[in-house]
Amino acid sequence: MNFWETITGSDLTRQFKAFEARAEALPADHRAAWEQIKGHLWLYGDFTGRNLMPILDGALGLLEETAADGQGIHEVLGDDIAGFCAALAGGEGARTYRDRWRAQLNRNVARKLNRLGG
Amino acid sequence: MDDLTEMLKGTLEGCVLEIIASEETYGYAITRRLNELGFTDVVEGTVYTILLRLEKNGLVHVTKRPSGVGPPRKFYALNDAGRKELATFWAKWEYVSSRIDKLKEGGR
Repeated sequence: MNFWETITGSDLTRQFKAFEARAEALPADHRAAWEQIKGHLWLYGDFTGRNLMPILDGALGLLEETAADGQGIHEVLGDDIAGFCAALAGGEGARTYRDRWRAQLNRNVARKLNRLGG
Repeated sequence: MDDLTEMLKGTLEGCVLEIIASEETYGYAITRRLNELGFTDVVEGTVYTILLRLEKNGLVHVTKRPSGVGPPRKFYALNDAGRKELATFWAKWEYVSSRIDKLKEGGR
């Protein structure tokens, strides 16, 4: 990643395009699952979403492999796509952006309270 | 048997290690093996996330090999750290199951 890419995120756009091109080739139900996976994984992204790239790549790889095997999407992911994404993102303890906001809010409130001598 | 997911959670990783220990294998085959054992709720996605974790923790040796159709497949074999982890898993399992059996029999 060079400086230009860091600033503009052009590498991300390029990677996303490559992902979408691969997803296009999937059968319909796998493609629908891909849309859902993206939606769920978004929660675990950092500011730019760069940390998600290898995870998305792996998930897409799994979809490609299983589609080639002729497995139905239910055999692959079951009913719990959200749980699958949580596990993918590094276990159920994975911090989402909501957790970060919550922590920040708690910290600010605690600081204010301290100042008031509470 | 349905709804084993919660109970299986802590043990599935050990089961996968045991399956890999007997022979080098890949995700789909591991899932099928678990299904045959009676864990019908286990899907390939679950096994996939476990394999990722094993890989990240350095317990398995991974080889990519071309498959007849589609992208290359990842094959997994245990390394020394994996074998150690598996031994620890069985020791823990032994402990937990013996305690729970005892509880069921009403002993102390």
